[in-house]
Amino acid sequence: MSLVVKPNFPDYQTAPVQRGFNPYADNGGSVVAIAGDDFVIIGADTRLSAGFSIYTREQNKLFPLSSTTVLGCSGCWCDTLTLTRILKSRMQMYQQEHNKTMSTTACAQMLSTMLYYKRFFPYYISNVLVGLDNDGKGVVYSYDPIGHCEKRTHRAGGSAGALLQPLLDNQIGKKNMLNVKEEPVSQQRALSIIKDVFISAAERDIYTGDSILINIITKDGIKEETFQLRKD
Amino acid sequence: MELANDWMNAAHSTGTSIMAATFDGGVVVGADSRTTTGAYIANRVTDKLTKVTDHIYCCRSGSAADTQAIADIVGYHLEFHSMELGEEPLVEVGANVFKELCYNYRDSLSAGILVAGWDKKHGGQIYSIPIGGMCVKQSVSIGGSGSSYVYGYVDSNYKLNMTKDECVKFVITTLALAMSRDGSSGGVVRVGIITEKGVERKVVLGDELPKFFEE
Amino acid sequence: MSSILCPEIPSPGFSFENCRRNAMLEVKGHAMPKAQKTGTTIVGIIYKDGVILGADTRATEDTTVADKNCEKIHYLAPNMYCCGAGTAADTEMTTQMVASQLELHRLYTNRVVRVATANQMLKQYLFRYQGYIGAALVLGGVDSTGPNLYCIYPHGSTDKLPYTTMGSGSLAAMAVFESRWKPDLEEAEGIKLVRDAIAAGIFNDLGSGSNVDVCVIKKGSVDYKRTYDEANIKGQKQNSYKYPRGVTDVLSTKVVDIEEVSVRVIGAPEDMEIA
Repeated sequence: MSLVVKPNFPDYQTAPVQRGFNPYADNGGSVVAIAGDDFVIIGADTRLSAGFSIYTREQNKLFPLSSTTVLGCSGCWCDTLTLTRILKSRMQMYQQEHNKTMSTTACAQMLSTMLYYKRFFPYYISNVLVGLDNDGKGVVYSYDPIGHCEKRTHRAGGSAGALLQPLLDNQIGKKNMLNVKEEPVSQQRALSIIKDVFISAAERDIYTGDSILINIITKDGIKEETFQLRKD
Repeated sequence: MELANDWMNAAHSTGTSIMAATFDGGVVVGADSRTTTGAYIANRVTDKLTKVTDHIYCCRSGSAADTQAIADIVGYHLEFHSMELGEEPLVEVGANVFKELCYNYRDSLSAGILVAGWDKKHGGQIYSIPIGGMCVKQSVSIGGSGSSYVYGYVDSNYKLNMTKDECVKFVITTLALAMSRDGSSGGVVRVGIITEKGVERKVVLGDELPKFFEE
Repeated sequence: MSSILCPEIPSPGFSFENCRRNAMLEVKGHAMPKAQKTGTTIVGIIYKDGVILGADTRATEDTTVADKNCEKIHYLAPNMYCCGAGTAADTEMTTQMVASQLELHRLYTNRVVRVATANQMLKQYLFRYQGYIGAALVLGGVDSTGPNLYCIYPHGSTDKLPYTTMGSGSLAAMAVFESRWKPDLEEAEGIKLVRDAIAAGIFNDLGSGSNVDVCVIKKGSVDYKRTYDEANIKGQKQNSYKYPRGVTDVLSTKVVDIEEVSVRVIGAPEDMEIA
């Protein structure tokens, strides 16, 4: 450290200033999905926020891509809008070219390539894609922002993802427990666990709250449900 | 990310319009009443005219914390000085105490102060102490971010030896002009008239301010 | 002289002994740990008979809620309380220290201490640390001059106001005050207004949440209403998450016999010899 006192006259400061631009926003939100033998449930909270303020308390973050496939998004909302808009048109192009609806597995692969296409300027989104596969089994695909895709039975993503994933691993995946029998989770239990984990997330994560929108996908179609959360 | 949290980081500052003008028999000080933290008006009824002794006031601009601390310290020194002296300190002395602090701590302070007052020896006087700690005596002086808009008005309209009422009207008009152009000045106009008899305070509310050409 | 049995009393004030080390570590990429910040809504108003202070009860650590029911209205003196926003440790320690100074001042002068005195102590202390002590305070109390309310910023500037708000929810709360505050409110009206201002912060500011605390200070009496209102009811869980017996892995077992239990009876104290 110099002992010479350097006077600071702001009027005469001429050092170059570098201005930055951040193209991303974090709009928060969490998505949770659980797959069963003949169903899959996905839930997302409906709070859209930035910094310390709430944009809206009723934003749907679940996007049905077909009658058996739903995508849940959280993260940068403008990227979500762009990605889902392109996805929708890709779905339509596939339908018109092949005269059939894209399968859930095909959707999953397409999403992966679409994300990796923007490898060096990624969509800042935590994606969870759910649906029924060709055998009617529930599947959950989870992604990182640049297209890594993983098939699993349960997934929590978004701002409270790190809070909720261990709970799902324990309750659905039966991790860290002895003497428990591996049995497929029932639809009713999956639904109640999703509601319970969101209640917990709203307690501790400031970006999760207001309410959740749940999609239950079975061979009979997609059923919607809402559930109220705390609003602070 | 800390969008809403700039109240924590941004120092509280008085982006200000302040002024002082001498007249026949005393001096008029005036200021707007807005204190801002970034874009937020933290106080819309601030009193930037701070009493130092019974006959010396200062108009504060710059960091609120710095100027309040300086005014408190100078008030303490002058009170002590007047006890030793057995009479009221000269405005010149008050201004020099301000200058001494502003100059010695110029690297860590951001304060632009107008010291105005009345004493038996020289009557009404104004000393301007801008950032850096210079001290200069003036007949009329303006300060703060709003002052840049009204230099021309002051130069063309100020006259020596005005009456008290003329001077008060001049100060209010000048400040109203500055406040209407400067985004970080606003609220009410506070005025203090310092004469031999002491200080007389006035407030001109926002809807009572003089109006000018508006499209 | 210090020993293990008699440790040396540390010199008063802050210790800066690790500053150089930490600066070096920071350059090498070891970031400083983050302090708990109370992204907060705190408010105060003057009403007919005194002042009313209000606060929410959420403490945050970045985006997670660290404490769901913390106390943000601190005691300063029997006639004075102080709401704190900013760095939790700074508000807590600053108010505690000033509280003890005010008590000494009260004993020395044998008078009810003035709110202006507390304001001056706080601003001088905060100015000395140039904003590094991140305490944003709303100070309220009643003394011989009547009700007093001050707003104190971390850099050491203060405002004397009839109604004031602070913290990340201050804009939401101030919107309520600017539309509804008027001079000489009745006590019930005042409490309602403070509650609504805090609720505005709780619901519209993500840094604020949970419950509403209210403190009413009048001449000669203080009514601290801890959890005046539960603005949010916690959601009801649908499942039980009780683990059945035997799910926890026992890694090793060691049984230790208790061989001897010694009992020592301490008799009643004998009368002190005075002769």
